Amino acid sequence: MRDFVELIVGAMASGCIYALVALSYLLITRPTGVINFAVGEWSMLAAFGGFLALSRFELPYPVGMAIVIGAMVLVGWLTERMAVRPLVERGAPALAPILALLGMLVVFREIVSVGMGPDPQPVPPMFGYGRLELGLVAGSYQSFTIIVVTALVFGSAWYFFERTLAGRSFEAVAIDRRAAALMGINLRRVTALAFAASAAVAGMAGLLVSPNVSAHYMMGLPLAIQGFTALVIGGVGRVEGALLGGLILAVAEQFTVRYAPIPPGLAQGVPLVLLILFLLLRPTGLLRARESRA
Amino acid sequence: MTAAQNLSGHPDAVGECIQGGRGGELLVVKGLCKQFGGLQAVADLDLDVRVGEILGVIGPNGAGKSTTFNMIAGALAPSAGTLTFDGEVLAGLPAHAMAARGIMRTFQHNKPFVSMSVRENVMVGMHRRIQGPLWRVWAGSSATQRAERAATQRADALVEFVGLGAWRDADVATLSFGQGRLLEIARALAAEPRLMLFDEPAAGLTPAECERLSDIIRQIAGQGIAVLLIEHDMRFLMALADRIAVLNFGRKIAQGTPAEIRADDAVVQAYLGDLGAMADA
Amino acid sequence: MKTFAGFALTALVLSALAFMLGSYQTDVYRKLLLWVTLALSYNFLFGIAGQVAFSHFTFYGIGAYAMVILLFQVGLPLPLAILAGIGLCVLLALVVAIPATRLEGFYLALATLAFAQLFIVVLNEGGAVTGAAGGLANYRLPDVFGMRVTGPWYTVVIVLLLLGTQASLWRLDRSWFGRACRAVRDDPQAAQAMGINVTATRIAAYTITSAMAGVAGMVYAFVDNTVNPPIFGLENSFLLLFMVIVGGSGRHAGAIVGAILLYLLPFVLSPLIGHHHALVFGLFMVAVVLFQPKGLIGIWDGWMAKRRTVP
Repeated sequence: MRDFVELIVGAMASGCIYALVALSYLLITRPTGVINFAVGEWSMLAAFGGFLALSRFELPYPVGMAIVIGAMVLVGWLTERMAVRPLVERGAPALAPILALLGMLVVFREIVSVGMGPDPQPVPPMFGYGRLELGLVAGSYQSFTIIVVTALVFGSAWYFFERTLAGRSFEAVAIDRRAAALMGINLRRVTALAFAASAAVAGMAGLLVSPNVSAHYMMGLPLAIQGFTALVIGGVGRVEGALLGGLILAVAEQFTVRYAPIPPGLAQGVPLVLLILFLLLRPTGLLRARESRA
Repeated sequence: MTAAQNLSGHPDAVGECIQGGRGGELLVVKGLCKQFGGLQAVADLDLDVRVGEILGVIGPNGAGKSTTFNMIAGALAPSAGTLTFDGEVLAGLPAHAMAARGIMRTFQHNKPFVSMSVRENVMVGMHRRIQGPLWRVWAGSSATQRAERAATQRADALVEFVGLGAWRDADVATLSFGQGRLLEIARALAAEPRLMLFDEPAAGLTPAECERLSDIIRQIAGQGIAVLLIEHDMRFLMALADRIAVLNFGRKIAQGTPAEIRADDAVVQAYLGDLGAMADA
Repeated sequence: MKTFAGFALTALVLSALAFMLGSYQTDVYRKLLLWVTLALSYNFLFGIAGQVAFSHFTFYGIGAYAMVILLFQVGLPLPLAILAGIGLCVLLALVVAIPATRLEGFYLALATLAFAQLFIVVLNEGGAVTGAAGGLANYRLPDVFGMRVTGPWYTVVIVLLLLGTQASLWRLDRSWFGRACRAVRDDPQAAQAMGINVTATRIAAYTITSAMAGVAGMVYAFVDNTVNPPIFGLENSFLLLFMVIVGGSGRHAGAIVGAILLYLLPFVLSPLIGHHHALVFGLFMVAVVLFQPKGLIGIWDGWMAKRRTVP
């Protein structure tokens, strides 16, 4: 029984990572309609940032984390400023920013590969490698940390979108860009903020996942795919959808690996098959998006 | 007005003359309804368009003109009612099947194919006539090549007919709005339609362009093509249409010749604010 | 190259080149020809039909693996294996096309991306059939009419494949079908109004180009005489996309230029940046999207237009 609960805890932790990546997509897609292929690479950058700040320079965790997240905000802002804004302002076709970001994906990855080499690098977890056992519930410190941090991030995101004026303006831009602009909402600022926040969230995901899997320059794309799968499953329009999708995906994945009579390698196919099925059968995801004009 | 040349100068352009009809009515609309949730946009509408006639559909904003148009064009499925075209009942056919039967439409906000030239745009309009099995294309037989050359010539004739001859090879982005409208028409004519649906063709045109447009539409109808025209501009329609149907709140409130409509009380009521336009029309 | 004579001449020149190269250069040349072939068919799918798909290289892999499996595991004679291989490529392309073309824009990209990854997973878990992670090797092309087709003669086969692909695509493009594909890409609603069956057009474009990639894969199987999962991964799919965009999306000449440039560039850059040529590709990609969306061909066109206006 404890075994089962531990599996659940582990799955929830994985699910939270996927959910964070999904949220990262959402923060950009909602107000701008741009799909950011490079979110996985952002997580990867943060993971390496964590390696440098925490393992190499051995800064205390809160300091290291703050620096890394701060750096990610800058990266997000720069990416938007240089690769996306010129296109949007020029009125380039919708595909253009997506392609530019795809190019950036490769650029980020290669820069890291050149700078840090092809070997995986260790990143320390926030509270060390211990285990926590509370009655039936058991799991590593890191698993619980991930769950708690994710809950905080999602809580803040929910609060931001539901209760703050800035959050409402995001929604407004998502629903009708032109009308929002006519109402005086500063599109540029919203877009810049969206990218910065997205990078920060992706960075957080990278920092949280890397203690388990190490920082590696190829870790971006699988994470990006899993994150997007979570988003599609949960529902492209809602913050809650990202969380739900992430959890469902992780549970499906872990349970298949553990209990299904198929070789573990094939289990890697689970998120892929789920993604394809959802895209074909239910592209809007499980949770319906709020009122949004096409 | 040399731009819109007489159709007899372009025998290739519009296609074979459509010979009379079986009873003259090409399109028969009966009991057409459209409901959006709780809103009845169109209710119990009857229309008919005859070979070679220009039927105008007019009405104040929100009268249901666009909805009606889209249902006839196959872009919107009716909630109830029947559409009969040349004796065949059209039941929920997709837009491309409508076009395949010779029902062609223009778009109010011009929708040219931006990556292609004016001539190529018109050649797309010929799709229903020149498409065939793909393997023939691949084989590149001389028959295919001949068909392609003929299509190019016909496209050029059509472009000439609407007055865009000089812009044959031009990028559609360089066309003015009025020219874009002419392209829409040439493109639709390329399919050798039997019924032409015009969606507010005068919208956004200068008076001179409207004149040219009227002339072109008259020539189209002269070839025996049935024309259904949705329009907002009273003046334009009164001068052009053979018969007019007036819609208000989704229902037909009057139908008749322009003279009859001008005198109709119900129509005057509906256009209360537009008495000036009525008087001038 | 618009006439048969033009094609024959090009075929002759490209084949003659094959006989003049040493064995290392032959390998580079063959792969270059294959990349150009792939770029041409991908350009039709992405640039002309406007479908953002990452499955092209996957079909390349499907073709390659199918050929090897049919010949050496199912044991079919060569002519039958070729027919079966082509049939399989077309069938699989159609099976994927039907659901895939219901998806628009980014969703299509994602679904094909997942499909591409899934292919790799299946290959890795394919046990003895696919050779699992190690792949299949140590085979060679069976004799054709008692003769070994090897060396420059096999290169001629690749030349013919390239020219056949180019000719087919060119014909398709210059026809009502090419225009229909562009119309569907530019404005599906207007295309429908013109009588074009948008779904059927998309399916046709996807099936034809993916099957072409598959056939190219069948030929590829005997270039290195080895097939394994990493060759057909996403990296090469991205590279194909970059080639088409950098060269000039939507133009046959663009695909050729892009493929040649991005394939040969690493050889030139190797002394400077080792294996990290992907960095340059990524930067090129971003630069082209930002500054010259028409690609290198666009720059060439602009240059030619300027020359024409000079009296």
